[in-house]
Amino acid sequence: MSNEVYAFALDNALKEVKSVCPDLANTFIFDENYFTVAKDPDTPQEAINKAIDEFHLVKEKAEAIGGLETVTVQGSEGQVKISRINNFYLATAFSKEADEKFIGTLYGVLIPTVIKLVDQLQPDVPNDETPMTADPEPTQELIEQTYHEEAFEETQQFTLENVEPENVESESVETEYAEAEHEALEQPSFEEAAIIEEPTTEEQVEPIEDEQANASEDFEENGPVLPEPPVTQVIVESIGGLLIKSDTVRIDNSVISRWNDLYGDKTIQEVYLEALDGKTTRCKFKPIKDSKYEGKGVIQMPEKIQAALETSKGELVMVKPVVE
Amino acid sequence: MGKKKKSSAETETVLTEEDAAVIDLAEEPKVSSDLVKTLSKICKRKTVLGYIIRDASTATIDLKEPEKLVDYAMLTSQALESGQELSQLLAVGELKSTVIEGRDIKAVCMIIGESKISVFMKKSVDHADLLNSITQ
Repeated sequence: MSNEVYAFALDNALKEVKSVCPDLANTFIFDENYFTVAKDPDTPQEAINKAIDEFHLVKEKAEAIGGLETVTVQGSEGQVKISRINNFYLATAFSKEADEKFIGTLYGVLIPTVIKLVDQLQPDVPNDETPMTADPEPTQELIEQTYHEEAFEETQQFTLENVEPENVESESVETEYAEAEHEALEQPSFEEAAIIEEPTTEEQVEPIEDEQANASEDFEENGPVLPEPPVTQVIVESIGGLLIKSDTVRIDNSVISRWNDLYGDKTIQEVYLEALDGKTTRCKFKPIKDSKYEGKGVIQMPEKIQAALETSKGELVMVKPVVE
Repeated sequence: MGKKKKSSAETETVLTEEDAAVIDLAEEPKVSSDLVKTLSKICKRKTVLGYIIRDASTATIDLKEPEKLVDYAMLTSQALESGQELSQLLAVGELKSTVIEGRDIKAVCMIIGESKISVFMKKSVDHADLLNSITQ
């Protein structure tokens, strides 16, 4: 889950706590990458940044005590406490008149609860702010999911080819059946499972990273804003056959998984395609099945779409997701 | 707990000698003997892992795991420095103590007079009680 979602919830939590604890001078929360996630409005960002830097300096040297979990600074007029809560660090500064136990208990209950609630609302999106890159080391679970998907589709195609080879309508039956099976198994969509596929080329990763950086800036200035859909340049490969939908292109798994990572719970079912001469079209997409095209920066495109774009095999087209 | 060494060498040089459990570098030790006595007494507890006392020219060290001396010294030095910065940044007054807690171990760092004191202990120890006995 992106930090923007946590930021909204935690910001409000900090404000509420401060309203009931007047002795609480400063509070802020930062993540493991030392980015400020939430803060009370009275604490200047510059002080927060410096405080995080100091914490970082101590943490760097804390391997001897098994990593750093809490720093408590006792001053003559109050206390600063930075403690780890889930994947975040909560920093509080309060005067010596403050009820330390009350504040500790309040935060100890409230912040984990807020984080857990946000997690439960959107549990299937990873919690990080790191640039979206393909996962080079797939987990066993994901490998198994993908195996089931592939095996299922292959079985389905085999059956259809043998029973109704000339029936073009069988394609939609295949899709519906596949979708129903996915729901029954409660597995992630093919696009999500596709995250395990080969990492993509650097040329494809860079635009995504830029988009993410822009999105992060936009959020700080204007609140949560969806990042601009990343544009990926790919080479056209022809695809055809009885079971190939004429309105669906096949795209590299790593590109699809980055879109999923970038947009979290947003639905991406279609893509915009643009040829170099400016012709555009919108169509459905599926991941590339043929492993020999994986990570090659290609798009498998039926003749009909090639005709619409006035493009052909070997030419470049731009592809970007339609985010709804 | 360990053998004692006396040397006129630089503090940094001596700190790398891993076999030294207790080191006193000063020609004329400035660290209060009462403080050392108190800390030595505290150190007899099973849950206390040792201490480091430093001032401008001397260091008194008593650690149950002397091989961790350099790591502990660097950590507590940074903890005191960062503690001072944090207390100024977030306006909580003059630094009294910094407590750093890891997964299993915690360290209490404080400045008494010219001496910088760091005491290492298991995380379960009530450091407030320990702080009281040092500052009394």
